[in-house]
Amino acid sequence: MATNPMQQFSVHRIGPEIQIAGVDISFTNASLFMVISSLAICFILFFGSREKSLIPSKIQLITEMFYNFIAKMISDTAGSKAKPYFPFIFSLFMFVLFCNMIGMLPYSFTVTSHIIVTLILSLFIFIAITIIGFIKHGFGYLKLFVPSGVPALLLPLITIIEIISYLSRPVSLSVRLFANMMAGHTMLKVFGGFVISLGMLGGWLPLSFSVALTGLEILVAFLQAYVFAILTCIYLNDALNLHH
Amino acid sequence: MSDFKNLKTRLKIAKSKLDSRSLDNADRKGSFMGTAFKLGTELVAAVLVGTIIGFIFDSWFGTKPWLIIIFFFIGSAAGMLNVIRTAKKLQEEN
Repeated sequence: MATNPMQQFSVHRIGPEIQIAGVDISFTNASLFMVISSLAICFILFFGSREKSLIPSKIQLITEMFYNFIAKMISDTAGSKAKPYFPFIFSLFMFVLFCNMIGMLPYSFTVTSHIIVTLILSLFIFIAITIIGFIKHGFGYLKLFVPSGVPALLLPLITIIEIISYLSRPVSLSVRLFANMMAGHTMLKVFGGFVISLGMLGGWLPLSFSVALTGLEILVAFLQAYVFAILTCIYLNDALNLHH
Repeated sequence: MSDFKNLKTRLKIAKSKLDSRSLDNADRKGSFMGTAFKLGTELVAAVLVGTIIGFIFDSWFGTKPWLIIIFFFIGSAAGMLNVIRTAKKLQEEN
């Protein structure tokens, strides 16, 4: 009866095996759920922005809420200079949010519970922000690693520490999202397994736990998408407004 | 038209109610666990990156155990720095 709680994270191929230059790029269940979440985003945004009525319909309300939420977040954390990057942060937030939320549905697959997905997202952000910083400030961007007011003797050590701290950004960004999603989904499955193994007599307690955990997981799914987007804004702010 | 005016006044009342209640407070209460997790990953990530850099440098220069030890400690320092910075940012918000 007991099923493996890690079973839900297995990636398997759907359809034919495709190989290009020795690289396996077959369509898997992970890619399927990425496509589903992208299509869901497109669907909601398309129907939400079609009618521009003064008294909004429900779907228009949702779309406008998402827009306002992200626009306010960007202007609060990164200032007006970050306005051109709105589309990027908006699509990032929506993608992570929908992947997390669709992962909460029974029988679905959580794309963001795989570290490779979150690591690629955060590495992309990291590289893009580094390039933006160098374009905006030239080699002056390297001042980020040399804080002012440090004795000359300590400067090399501090610089190395600053560089490691800078390099740790994508790691902490991706590990946070991945660990939250994987831990939460594993916990749900473990409690679900308890319900079956304890049966009619003792199964009610873990069942109530797993109902509460589902609520918590939905909160975490939203919160992690929010944290992912807001940290991107903070890093963008560092690159745009250099101050030390 | 009267319907429309009615809605306008109702909107105004609702908005003033929203302003008086601090919305952010309710948001932040739910994110205490997120904050704790944030600080934890911040510390671990820097240690991890430092150790990996030490490992790579060791295999480049052939100084097997030494650089990984040094960079482990430098990475820990960077992790502390990250945590202090994040905590400072959180304090500014509150």
